[in-house]
Amino acid sequence: MSLEIHDISKAFGGFRALDGVRLTIETGSLFGIIGPNGAGKSTLFSVVSGFARADEGQIRLDGQSLDSLSPPARARAGMVRTFQVPREFRHLTVRENLMAAAPKQTGESLLGLFFRPGRVREEEGAIAERVNETIRFLKLSAVADQPSGKLSGGQKKLLELGRALMVEPRLILLDEPFAGVNPVLIGEIMERITELNTRGIGFVIIEHDLEALTRLVPQLAVMDRGKVLAQGAPQAVLDDALVREAYLGGVS
Amino acid sequence: MEAYFIAIGIIALIYVILSLGLTLQYGLTGLINFGHVGFFAIGAYTSALLALKGVPLVLSFAAAAALAGLAAWPLGLVSLRLRDDYFAIVTLGFSEVVRIVITSEGWLTNGVQGLPGIPRLYEGLGGSAAQLAVLVTVLAVTLVGTWIIRRIAGSPFGRLIEAIRDNEEAVQALGKDPARFKIQVLVVGAALAGIAGAFYAHYITYIVPDQFIPLVTFYVWMAIIMGGVGRVSGAIVGTAILMLFLEGSRFLRDIVPGVSEVDMASVRIGAVGLLLVLFIMYRPQGLMGDYTKR
Amino acid sequence: MFYAQLLVNGLVQGLVIGLAALSITLVFGIARFPNAATGDFMTFGAYSALSAHKVTGSIAMGGLAAIIATGVISLLAYLAVFRRLAERSVVALLVASIGIAFFIRAVLGVAFGHSQQVFQVPLSRPYVFGSVRITPLDLQLALVALAALALVFAILYLTPIGRQMRAVADNRDLARVSGIRPDRVMIALWLLAGSVAGIAGMMLGIKTIVTPEFGWEMLLPAFTAGILGGIGSPVGAVVAGLILGVVQEVSTPFVGFTYKIALAFIIMLAVLLVRPRGLFGRLEGAR
Ligand SMILES: Nc1ncnc2c1ncn2[C@@H]1O[C@H](COP(=O)(O)OP(=O)(O)O)[C@@H](O)[C@H]1O
Ligand SMILES: [Mg+2]
Repeated sequence: MSLEIHDISKAFGGFRALDGVRLTIETGSLFGIIGPNGAGKSTLFSVVSGFARADEGQIRLDGQSLDSLSPPARARAGMVRTFQVPREFRHLTVRENLMAAAPKQTGESLLGLFFRPGRVREEEGAIAERVNETIRFLKLSAVADQPSGKLSGGQKKLLELGRALMVEPRLILLDEPFAGVNPVLIGEIMERITELNTRGIGFVIIEHDLEALTRLVPQLAVMDRGKVLAQGAPQAVLDDALVREAYLGGVS
Repeated sequence: MEAYFIAIGIIALIYVILSLGLTLQYGLTGLINFGHVGFFAIGAYTSALLALKGVPLVLSFAAAAALAGLAAWPLGLVSLRLRDDYFAIVTLGFSEVVRIVITSEGWLTNGVQGLPGIPRLYEGLGGSAAQLAVLVTVLAVTLVGTWIIRRIAGSPFGRLIEAIRDNEEAVQALGKDPARFKIQVLVVGAALAGIAGAFYAHYITYIVPDQFIPLVTFYVWMAIIMGGVGRVSGAIVGTAILMLFLEGSRFLRDIVPGVSEVDMASVRIGAVGLLLVLFIMYRPQGLMGDYTKR
Repeated sequence: MFYAQLLVNGLVQGLVIGLAALSITLVFGIARFPNAATGDFMTFGAYSALSAHKVTGSIAMGGLAAIIATGVISLLAYLAVFRRLAERSVVALLVASIGIAFFIRAVLGVAFGHSQQVFQVPLSRPYVFGSVRITPLDLQLALVALAALALVFAILYLTPIGRQMRAVADNRDLARVSGIRPDRVMIALWLLAGSVAGIAGMMLGIKTIVTPEFGWEMLLPAFTAGILGGIGSPVGAVVAGLILGVVQEVSTPFVGFTYKIALAFIIMLAVLLVRPRGLFGRLEGAR
């Protein structure tokens, strides 16, 4: 059971943002991706999640080819991504943002809404419960009923994470989830990610903060200039000469 | 005098139904529908033609709603792949094409001569009783329409269309297809316009293609912009102002000597243009305020 | 040959559409919205030319009047309205352009009345080439259009302000950081867009009958040509205008006169679905 990224290339104009990326990530694992700015990490997420079309290569999730699926279909197949720059629904409150993320709602079809009002009400109750849990977990209670557009950058990142969790996918792609988040909370969220992972949810995490990431994930890949330089256990990868060259700017 | 107010009331409510549709489409979802009059026309002609063939009005009204809604479907499929501004152009073009078809297909629509003698609602009642009955019926439909829009706005569906307006890609990332929601919104808004068209045809009893020009679309835009985009109350207040404006301009023509109907039409168009520009520039939130603070 | 004749007619019509599309594509590419007032700018140009022609008896003076007056109106629309909406959403600009369109139409309706007006141009014997007849008037119109196009392209490609306009169309942010002053570019843009629409309006007025509504009816074909040519591409707009003009004429025997505009609509949909960047557009699509 894995996410297979097979020789993906993607160019913007003449610039190759991804250059033959090949990675296999166990679906239930914790996997990290690091690399300098502009390495192509976010672009890789966009291609994997279907928001950008790859020029070459294939993507499979647990054996199923994703190449012809739209972004929503890929999410429904069990893989949800977050965005590096938060994309909160800014006119909706935090609570509403999370409610909107819950999957398969009867009240999201007009037929269901008008012909099965009882069921809609029931579902709303159940979703509200889960949302409350998520809000508590992400420590967003104080702002739960504020328009999400007014949140701080860190809070918005938490909301991104919360929405992805609400979908209950098998695999979550997190793009720099800790950027701007209060360090105390980072620790707690990492604990919770580990806990969710033991329950079978996989995470692929792009992170800038090397140290934080090495504490969290047993496996990671290093990207630079559209290529995967190395892959494996954090320490082994960081000892790799190429990686030192690229990521640490050659300081030894 | 009473008859006059009933007449105004009926027309005003027809415009309210139109603005409810646009409130759902633009106000709540952000779809820039510049072709509302096309669906209005489809409703008017559908119901009129069927009624003239002897179909009971209940059925012809239902057909008007269904056909107008159906017309929105392919347009939605096509257009939802487009950026906002292209969507606006496409819908504007659509309504013009509807008018061209109505004008050209004389065998069906009687072309520019139009359709006279469209049966009234409640013809059996006769006179002012029938008028009153029509008013009550339009009012009932308006209230149901208002209830539907409110219900949608406050539902999981409404939550999602607001989310779509805020960030479409984030909605996709959560596994939901914005197009599915937008098409439903388009269809419902168009069906409402179709019903409005049916009421219009059976009230006026005589329709010609020239009644379905883009100006009508922008009357409705003017109403929802003046009232406050995205608020049902805004649609209603805006329509009230629109009616004051339309009736006022007619009244003005009657008392100012030497002003011809075509001149007055020009003045009306000019005033609509000016109001649209002024409201967009100086009071984009309308008179009833921004919907986000509701 | 019957079709050769339609081809010739279509080319003249196509030049009108091409000029209108040029105006649209310049604004769409640089100011970033579809200007729905373009059709009524054309009407304004036609009435300006008509008035000047009546006074002076000269078509050339009519053309000059159309260029200057419509350029000025267009610039005024920018200064009074569009500039102040520059930071707002596209719907604000769109609705405002509709409002301006209505306002111009109303002013023209009150000022000139609603009766149909025609340019009193002398009839003259057509040149006959085989079975194709070309009137001297059509020839003159084509020359006027070509001259106008040559001038516009000279401005766009040979002058500093033209280069700046194209730079802004290509990449607004890049243009800004490279020190291009957006204000000057925008003023030049609106003057140019208005003048081009004005000339198109005069040509259409000479070919047909002028009413306060007649420019508005060109809006859809003009948008279609702009999209077919690729938004932001001046060459594309003109080429697409010619194609559309010819297609409309040649198809008239099949689809009938009234469905010309419907045909433009179908073509627009097809382009948007199959190749949203049009013939000559850059990568940025309709989505
Ligand atoms: N839509 C785009 N158009 C053009 N270039 C892009 C686009 N998206 C990303 N890039 C470029 O691709 C490279 C990789 O970007 P990104 O994937 O965001 O890097 P990372 O997330 O590793 O910092 C960068 O040089 C960026 O400028
Ligand atoms: Mg990134």
